[in-house]
Amino acid sequence: MQTNDKNSTLSMLISIIVSFAIALTFFYGLDHLVMSMQGLPLNPDLSPAG
Amino acid sequence: MNDKHPSNQPERPSTQIRWRHRLWIALSMLLLVSGWVQAAEESTTLNSITPIGVVQVAGEPLIAKITPDIADGDTAEPIAAPRPSRSDYPNIGVSSRAIVWILAQLHLFFAALVLAVPLFVLMIELLGVYTGDERYDNMAYEFMKISLTGFSITAIFGGSLALALFVLYPDFMGYMMHVFGAQVLVYAIFFFLESFFLYTYYYGWNAFRYGNLKWVHLSLGLMLNASGLTIMVLANSWATFMMAPSGVNEVGAVVGNIWEIMKGPLWNPINLHRFIANIAFGGAVVGAYAAFKFLSTNDPVRRAHYDWMGYTSNFIAILAFLPLPFAGYWLMAEIYAYSQQMGITAMGGILAWLFIVQAVLIGTILLAGNFYLWAGMSRTDGSDRYKGLIKYIAVVLVVCFLIWVTPHTLILSASEISLLGGSHHHILGPLGIMPAKNVAVNLMLVATFLSFQLYRRSDKVATVSWAPMGNALMVAIYVVAIVNIIFLGVYYGYFTNTVYKVGSSVVQVASTLVVIIAGIILDTLMFRNAKTLPSHWGRIPDRAQYALFALPIAFTWLMGLMGYVRSSVKTHWHVYTVMKDNSPDNFIPTIAYAGNMITIVTVLFLLCVLFMFWVANLSSTRQAKPAAGGAV
Repeated sequence: MQTNDKNSTLSMLISIIVSFAIALTFFYGLDHLVMSMQGLPLNPDLSPAG
Repeated sequence: MNDKHPSNQPERPSTQIRWRHRLWIALSMLLLVSGWVQAAEESTTLNSITPIGVVQVAGEPLIAKITPDIADGDTAEPIAAPRPSRSDYPNIGVSSRAIVWILAQLHLFFAALVLAVPLFVLMIELLGVYTGDERYDNMAYEFMKISLTGFSITAIFGGSLALALFVLYPDFMGYMMHVFGAQVLVYAIFFFLESFFLYTYYYGWNAFRYGNLKWVHLSLGLMLNASGLTIMVLANSWATFMMAPSGVNEVGAVVGNIWEIMKGPLWNPINLHRFIANIAFGGAVVGAYAAFKFLSTNDPVRRAHYDWMGYTSNFIAILAFLPLPFAGYWLMAEIYAYSQQMGITAMGGILAWLFIVQAVLIGTILLAGNFYLWAGMSRTDGSDRYKGLIKYIAVVLVVCFLIWVTPHTLILSASEISLLGGSHHHILGPLGIMPAKNVAVNLMLVATFLSFQLYRRSDKVATVSWAPMGNALMVAIYVVAIVNIIFLGVYYGYFTNTVYKVGSSVVQVASTLVVIIAGIILDTLMFRNAKTLPSHWGRIPDRAQYALFALPIAFTWLMGLMGYVRSSVKTHWHVYTVMKDNSPDNFIPTIAYAGNMITIVTVLFLLCVLFMFWVANLSSTRQAKPAAGGAV
């Protein structure tokens, strides 16, 4: 029973970490993409490159 | 749209019928969209910004001056715009502008309503065909019944407006007729077509109800909408020509064809903005009807019906309202691109204060819409899972609302400035500029979508194996999007240059749209074959219905307000930079005067709407036959 709970918690934790990693990557890319499309490039740290 | 109505599930249509649905929808979309796409393709930026005179875009070669298209040997001179003097304007003892203002606004309110209702009625009717559930059909018919009187009222105000304009502004109307020529007749033809399709659509509802005849009926509805939308875009071209003339030279002489005159730089932004706004407005008005009917009956069956109708109306209004700020943003960006002076008049001059009033009204709409959704959660037993989140959403909405209504520049006396320590408050001052307001608006929209999503989930339990992962991804998208919106607003808004500040607002909009689109896609996939929990239509507090009354009042006032701003940015021009307004009213009135005018028009419209509801009720009321020999 305890092993099942541990597995479930671990699986949930992995889901959360993966989800946040996907969301962070997506929005980071979105910032670069939409700003570049407007002719406003960004540095990797998101500061203005222009 | 509605998957909660308590009833037996109707039979699913056959595959053949579903394919027929899809084919019909595809052809309909093709018909409606093709004209607009063509307009958008041909309306390049370069064409859009060369309406008059010689213009050079930075980094681009000089654009040739537009010259009259005169055939060889034809010496006809193009006619310049008239320059009427004060005495050329008839004086009838009261302000001509006030008369035209009231008539034009009332006409626009009703036109918006009668354009929008058939749009969503057609969608609801189609939903009824697709699901095989006749209640959709009945509700769509009831929506049409409510708005039918509105068509006549629209025509009455439209005719009165045209008459008032010809009598009170003869030179201006003469010039507009000269510029648009036969296009006005096309408008009239579509008006007749719309009337034909309206009456056949409405009165043929029960005659063309089943089988192939239903498709005839749907096609009538489609043609009704196509006619209505064409009328709207034709009329929009008159308004946008007055703001940003194209197809004429610097003195107003016509040098282009009718298409070049119509496709000015503001035409498509106005088309899109009005199209979306009309749907939101129409949904709000018929929602008030449903609320009124809900409150005026104790019959549980009727209360359940009108509760469902109110929910559907609110759904339409809020769903259309969510993308509206982005369409407005596009319109303002195009206004700035066309004329910075015009943009600054709107958002940086006397009219800027009206944008604070706009914030109050939009805040009212969002708070009312959210409140209705929260109250509506009491219909379902499964909503207890989400009710705990409501207080946090409410806090976000209220804080963002307060940021949005914080003004930047206050009108202060010397002693007040001294007490404040300067012309701007040291803490609240930074909240008065656009970056803070962009953050607030986007967070309010995200919060509203969250309310909507929780409401939609409240009667369902996901059964797919990946539901925990799906929920985790949805939470991550919300959290990262909110952080991104705040980061973009604060960092680029306050710590970089203006170009990045403006550019980052587009990313904020994109972030909000990502939340909405991701939410819809994830929920559609996650709740496929979901377990449905019981819900009880009619089980909603009466006070929720008052939110449905608040919506149309706020929408009407807002449309009146922003319509006034749109028209006033022309300042002392009938047609911007081409034909001057020399009438006694050629100035921007005080905010108080404008506020009073907008309020008068709003009250008049609401009175007319009450009349419309009363007439709709009257048609279903039958007087009892007097007893023989009794008093009549």
